[in-house]
Formats: sequence, structure tokens, C-alpha cells
Amino acid sequence: MEIGFIVNSREFRRKRDLLWLLTKKEVTLKYKRTFLGIFWSLLNPILLAFVLFIAFKIFMRIQMENYTFFLLAALFPWNWFSASITMSTGALIGNVNLIKKIRFPRHFLILSTILGQFVNFIFALPIIIGFSYFYGKGPGINWFLSIPILMAIQFIVTIGICLAISMVNAYFRDMEYIIGVVVSMLFWMTPIIYPLNIIPEAYRIYLVLNPLTYLITAWRDIFMSNATDWGNIGISFGSSLVFFLLGILIFRKLGRRLDEVI
Amino acid sequence: MNCVVEISDVWKKFPMKRDRPGFKEFVVNLSRSIKSKENSNFWALKGVTFEVKQGECLGIIGRNGAGKSTLLSLILGTIYPTKGNIKISQKITPLLELGAGFHPDLTGRENIFINGVLLGLTKDEVLERMEEIIAFSEIGDFIDMPVRTYSSGMYLRIAFSVAIYTAPELFLIDEILSVGDEAFQKKSRDALLNLINGGVTTIFVSHQMSAIKEICHRVIWLDGGEIRGEGEPGRVIEMYLKA
Repeated sequence: MEIGFIVNSREFRRKRDLLWLLTKKEVTLKYKRTFLGIFWSLLNPILLAFVLFIAFKIFMRIQMENYTFFLLAALFPWNWFSASITMSTGALIGNVNLIKKIRFPRHFLILSTILGQFVNFIFALPIIIGFSYFYGKGPGINWFLSIPILMAIQFIVTIGICLAISMVNAYFRDMEYIIGVVVSMLFWMTPIIYPLNIIPEAYRIYLVLNPLTYLITAWRDIFMSNATDWGNIGISFGSSLVFFLLGILIFRKLGRRLDEVI
Repeated sequence: MNCVVEISDVWKKFPMKRDRPGFKEFVVNLSRSIKSKENSNFWALKGVTFEVKQGECLGIIGRNGAGKSTLLSLILGTIYPTKGNIKISQKITPLLELGAGFHPDLTGRENIFINGVLLGLTKDEVLERMEEIIAFSEIGDFIDMPVRTYSSGMYLRIAFSVAIYTAPELFLIDEILSVGDEAFQKKSRDALLNLINGGVTTIFVSHQMSAIKEICHRVIWLDGGEIRGEGEPGRVIEMYLKA
């Protein structure tokens, strides 16, 4: 009853419409004047996988079956995360006009960026399903449970981090460059090109600090072998929640004086 | 009549930061950098108090830098007061800058959608009014072209049309009566007057004294962040022009 009222209220519908339109704008504008359009979002991780394959499988001769699938299963979710981070860094300072002249929920600028990247991720799913048919076990019934949960966890952690850095960047413009460095370091510190279990035991405890460690591993488990390790998922949910709450706190705290710095 | 805007003892401070020195300059001027720690502040508003009644049209006049635009932004809610209270009990439609949030690569129609929703409508409501908005803007077939191909007049006309059709309850206007050519100026002015006479509460900032005198029921004269005069338009404008 109560919830039905909220969902049907005019203000709720308006906010939903706004988020939808901003996301649509994000998706359509990104590649509006390009020839390949949204396929660029697929080409990026695929080309990266190709190069990594040459470097590690052919040159370094890593002993691993289905290394391409192994890479892609992690690269697509990673790409959703890293592109969201990079793009939302400028989401507030790039929309000064909107923020100063119109009143609307400012966090929608960040949410729509993340949702826009999420759409790219959805577009990548058919590729992963294809790989799963040919090189894996084929999509199983548990995909319908695990994938939405992993999506939710990734939303939570990405929202938290993006909210924080977009706001901090308004006060401290060095953030943009710091993020550039941190994202590329994070790429190598996350089990993307290597599996989680080759990390020596002694260091694994620190991996919890990286919210992506167990999330990316969980994505790969489900895509490659239809496996769901609730322990991994629990850990990634826990650390994601911390980032989420911290992000909201920072965004709220600093948001009150945003107009003075942008 | 009840008040829809209540501003009580509002102060607004802006930090007076010259562009923050980079690291290199900071090191070079180390001794000075540390000393000048106490930030100088600029008080844009110093204890402003007034209210606006339902259906009233309030004019705000004053020289450049008197705090007029800061005041409008505070009422709109895009900035927060340093001290004091602001109470608003109506849906605000700002006309502070026409076409804020327009994207050059989107078509006129797409921009109307986004802008309309940003200004307080739902998508369905924009859709209902779409034809009227397009007709009012006299933009014709250009409506499905990217806005970057528009002339600046067309751009402003379409932005004005969206704003006027958002069913405003409280209108904030910052100096935008001159939109487009002669004919459209008259049309937009009539449309605004229609809304105001129809009982839409309006706060109107302008340097055009004739427009203020014609439209407003009451005028506030801001000077250096304080209210210097308030009351009947003719009298306050005369005081302001003499000062």
C-alpha cells in the first residue's frame, strides 16, 4: 500500500523519467557521430583481450586453457567498472551549467553515467554466452540468480566510488590524474589476467581492500564454470557496502558547498 | 494571502580564492603561502529578509554585484545559505539561463524532453505539450535537427518555449525578456505577462526599469548585499535611480 503510493506518485515518476532520459542521453551521445557506434564499447575490451592474449599466452606461454574466454569473462565486467570511474570523475565539473541553473538530484549525473556503461555491459553478454557455449559449460539455470546479484553488487560499489571521486574532484582537481593512475594500477592488482589462486596466501588478506578482487572472480566463476561461491560473493558484498556508504557520506558532506568550487 | 517564499535573515558567503596556487608556486612562495592562511571572504548577501505572497510579482533591482543573482540561486536551491532560513512552498521554474542543459548534439525535440523533465514535468506531460511547445517556438522543421545547427535566436526561442509550458507555480526570471526578433519578443513578453496576471508567483530580476514598473507589484532594491529600499515600484525605482 505504502510502496504502491510512492511508486505511483508524480514526483517518483518524474525522477524515474529524468534518470531514464539522462541515461539515454549518455548512451546515445557517446558514439553519436561515430561510424561504429555502440560497437566501440565491445571492441575496446575485445582488442585489449587480444593484446593480452598475445603477450601472455603466446609470448609468456602461460599454461591455461581457454585463456581468451578467461580474459573476456573478467574484462567485460572490469570495463563497466573502470569506464564508469573514469567518466564520472568529470560528471559534476563537466555540468556546471546544469548544477548552477537548475535544481535536480545531482547524483543522477553519476548514476546515469554508470547506467550508460551498464548498457554496454549488457551488449557484451551475448558474446560471453557464445563463449560459454563453445568453451564452457553453456549458460546454466543459476545464471538467472547469480548474475543479477553480481550486477547489484557491482552497482553498489561503483556508485559508492563514483559518487566520492566526482565530488572530491570538484574540490581537488588533481583527482582526475590520480584516478587515471589508480585505475591502471587496479587493473594489474585485480585477478583479471591471472586467477585468484596464484596469489600467495600471505597476501590474500590484503585483497579484501580491493572490492573488485572477489567480484571479478565471482563473475568469472559463473561465466566459465556456472559456479557460485557464496563466500566470495559475501566478501565482495561486504566490501562493496562499505564503499557505497562511504561514497554517499562524502557526496552529501561535500555537496553542500559544491556551488562555491565549481 | 499566504506567503510562498519566506526569506529570513539570509547571509551568503563566498570564499575569495584566487586560482589556487599549484604545487610549484606553493613551494616558491612557501613563507607567504603559510601566512596568508586566513581566507578572505566575500559576503554576497548580508542579512536579507523578505517574503513573497501567493500570486505576487516581485521585482529585484540593483547594480551589478548587488547580490540579485545569488538571491535567485538561493531561492532556487542550487546554492545554500551560509546563515538564515529560506522557506519555499511551490514548484519552482527557473528562467535564469535559457537552455541550461541543452546538448548541441541532441535534436530540438530531444532537448525539449530533457529540459522539460529537468524543469519539473514528467515525460508524459512533456509529450502532451510537445506540439504546443514546438508551435510556440516557431522552429518548424528544424525541430528534428541537432541543436548545434540552430541559430542563437532559434536556440533561445526553443528554450523559452519549454520553460513557459512547464506549468510554473513560482517563476524565477533573470533578465530574459529579449528573446529572438521583434515579433517573438512581443510574443514571449505577452506569454509571460499572461502567466503573471494569471496568478503565477514571480520573482523578476532586471535592469530594465520600464519592464519592472510595468510588471511588478512590489520592488526590492538590493545594494551591496543588503536591502536598501522596498515597496511600490515607482517610488523604489526613483530612489534607486537617484542614488
